[in-house]
Amino acid sequence: MKGCAMRVDSAAYKRPFFYRLKKDFKRNYTLYILLSVVIAFYIIFMYVPMYGAIIAFKNYSPAKGILGSPWAKNGGMEHFIRFFNGPYFTRLIRNTFLISFYDLIFGFPAPIILALLINEVKNRAFKKTVQTISYMPYFISLIVVVGMIKQFSATNGFFNDIIAFFGGTRSPILNNPNLYRPIYVASNIWQGVGWGSVIYLAALSGVDAQLYEAATIDGANKWKQMLHVTLPGISPTIIIMLILRIGSLMSVGYEKTILLYNDAVMKTADVISSYVYRVGILDTSWSYSTAVGLFNSIINFILVLGANWISRKVSETSLW
Amino acid sequence: MKRFLATAVSMTILLLSISACSNSSTVADSTSTTAKANTETSTQNDETTATTASESDSASTTESGSDASEYPLSGGTLTYWVSLNSNVAANYSSLADTPYAKEYEALTGVHIEYQHPASGQENEQFNLMMASAEYPDIIDWNWLTYSGGPQKAIDDGVILSLNDVMAENAPNLTTYLQANPDIDKMVKTDEGNYYVFPFIREQDNMCASFGPQIRADWLEDLGLETPKTVADLENVLIAFKEQKGATAPYSYEYSVNNANDPIMFGFGTSKNFQINSDGKVEFGSTTEAYKAYLETMNKWYQEGLLDADIASVDGSQLDSKITSGLTGFTVGWIGSGMGKWNQAGVQNDANFQLEALNYVTEDGSQSEYSYMENRYGGGGSAAITTACKDVELAAKYLDFGYSEAGYLANNYGTEGESYTVENGTPTYTDQILKNADGWPIAQAMGAYIRACYNGQFIQSYGYQEQYFQTQAQKDAPTIWTDTNEKAHLLPPITPTSDESAELATIMNDINTYRDEATLNFIIGNESLADFDQYVETINSMGIDRAIEIETAALERYQNR
Repeated sequence: MKGCAMRVDSAAYKRPFFYRLKKDFKRNYTLYILLSVVIAFYIIFMYVPMYGAIIAFKNYSPAKGILGSPWAKNGGMEHFIRFFNGPYFTRLIRNTFLISFYDLIFGFPAPIILALLINEVKNRAFKKTVQTISYMPYFISLIVVVGMIKQFSATNGFFNDIIAFFGGTRSPILNNPNLYRPIYVASNIWQGVGWGSVIYLAALSGVDAQLYEAATIDGANKWKQMLHVTLPGISPTIIIMLILRIGSLMSVGYEKTILLYNDAVMKTADVISSYVYRVGILDTSWSYSTAVGLFNSIINFILVLGANWISRKVSETSLW
Repeated sequence: MKRFLATAVSMTILLLSISACSNSSTVADSTSTTAKANTETSTQNDETTATTASESDSASTTESGSDASEYPLSGGTLTYWVSLNSNVAANYSSLADTPYAKEYEALTGVHIEYQHPASGQENEQFNLMMASAEYPDIIDWNWLTYSGGPQKAIDDGVILSLNDVMAENAPNLTTYLQANPDIDKMVKTDEGNYYVFPFIREQDNMCASFGPQIRADWLEDLGLETPKTVADLENVLIAFKEQKGATAPYSYEYSVNNANDPIMFGFGTSKNFQINSDGKVEFGSTTEAYKAYLETMNKWYQEGLLDADIASVDGSQLDSKITSGLTGFTVGWIGSGMGKWNQAGVQNDANFQLEALNYVTEDGSQSEYSYMENRYGGGGSAAITTACKDVELAAKYLDFGYSEAGYLANNYGTEGESYTVENGTPTYTDQILKNADGWPIAQAMGAYIRACYNGQFIQSYGYQEQYFQTQAQKDAPTIWTDTNEKAHLLPPITPTSDESAELATIMNDINTYRDEATLNFIIGNESLADFDQYVETINSMGIDRAIEIETAALERYQNR
């Protein structure tokens, strides 16, 4: 990519930026039109709302508006201090981190493994069938997925039928705080693995077939080929996906959490986003919940910068 | 350059699609809300022009005191935000489509544009409406639950203080409140501001339409007495389990009604703030009685007397458990609970009969606590917002509900259609009681009246009497009010704005913790040996300050 960017007329280099932009716009205006939609999307839906984040430092009252609301105590940091000293701080951080960490270490390799396996399958019909079936859960609405999990985990549900068949005792599985995270992560993997493998399959098809031939001639078996040809071939994709994934390490979505949790498992289930939802939308502590959400975003931002930095040092592949 | 640009475009599209995966729902939400906000503003604009037109009309009418003959008013349109009751929603997508709304429009002469929040998301949508600061003319809500209390809602510039408005344009309500000083005390803030057109129950025995119910036919079968003590009830539940095959002898919709568990009341506490026997405000969830209650529930859970799925039982699951004989003791409403279950239950078991029973206590004496509401509970009460362009029209429209004609229209509906007057008493017709389309009574009522949920009028006792069809239902309110709850129930007190912000901060955390700990104590994820630690935690979260605020508010209330 960098190479592409460099290959510009050397004459153009000396011209000022806006001149070049204007000239390029004339030549490629269709591409700019295409791009403008995306830029507009980001400005309207991503950047403009950011201005609202200042209510984290205020005591927001809808009637007074964002600018008219008074600043919070302690130099605007009142809500942050309340969160850091609050009873739920450590628990929220721990749950959010652990759930996304498990999701990362179990959920991230899963689609890669699936893609590698599918790649080895030579029977076309079988391959397509497996792919289609593994995609399907992705298209089921989250509400339905959670509904299924709840039904299956009830005392007279499918999971308990299995446990009872092997002589165990029936119990409401979703009331057990120790099982909440495994259920959450496993169902995530089940739902996303097929869809996640698409990008790796695409990368796999880009690996040069000659390399395999060469490896075979050198006497590499299938396993060795995978280690030394396939994986290095798709490693840039893997790393970029990993960086993106780490950027969302501390952001467990509230949707699935609030659908799945109940009072009995809050200890292991409650995450930052579901807390923000509860205190913000249900208890109308707008400023406080914004402060918590903002804190979460800052952590994510640091994480993605860090992951990118490490990746650049270690593997020379990075987002920017 | 071209290739670079192409790469940039494709990369942004890639990124976009990735972020779209995670954000798609939020984006969709925000676009739909903006879309909605737009339509709302446009309707509001239309309506502004409409009302200015009508204002000039009404200016010509006399300004003198309004008697009944004033209605119908000379037209006009108002926007009115209200949750759509499930009994209405069963057959109508908007209140505007019901015969009730049409009759009401004919009577008042005011056209109402109803706005309904999505069912099940009333709280979220109300709060979002507050945050967006775009209000309709009238909001029907429980303003006592507004974050910060009703006075805060006035101070925030959301709703109007109605003192002047009522004095000038609401003669019917004013007359009623003058005649009923105890209600008058309830419906204003400490500062003396009226803030809503309230929903008021006509009599005390209309305030307990929710309570414990037991399978009377099973008791009879097994030769058991109606339980009076907790120990009696335990034996009954064991008998239900062992001899009637009830796998979940005691079950109820825990997530909705856990604050109204009859066993808890029987042990002598509620879950929230209450006035104890010394006349002091206390927090029920930290009392010894609460611990005793949790111990019993934990024991029952272990022994399989309390439903193993108690944490997740929802309405439809409960319906099926009760009507199919898996549950023999529950707690629920008279109409939408007992009435519905008895009707459905007999299809499985001809003898099926749920009946109300007294709250069981430890020693069999009268229960101190029980489920009871104040005659003004806060719900279904309409405030006029600051966005309202024609306050006079809104006030006159809302005041109609407290007139003689409004009383009939809200409680009984359309004369000749939903009721007839027999011997001077309005009586529901078969259109309501034996609906030709096979609608349950509650749904038929939902089409014609608002008495079956709430609204801006005095709920008639005659409605309750006629709605409760069976003897079991008719007896229930009397049985359930046989308690000393009136001495313990907090009136609708209103903390000051500053206090209630503080109270909300404290109580949001405490309630979350309390609910979580309670369920964990019951299902045994946590040992009751840790109860002291639990009390300690709640103390450290600032319950004393909360009690202080409540006490002060109660004192101010008593001095109103």
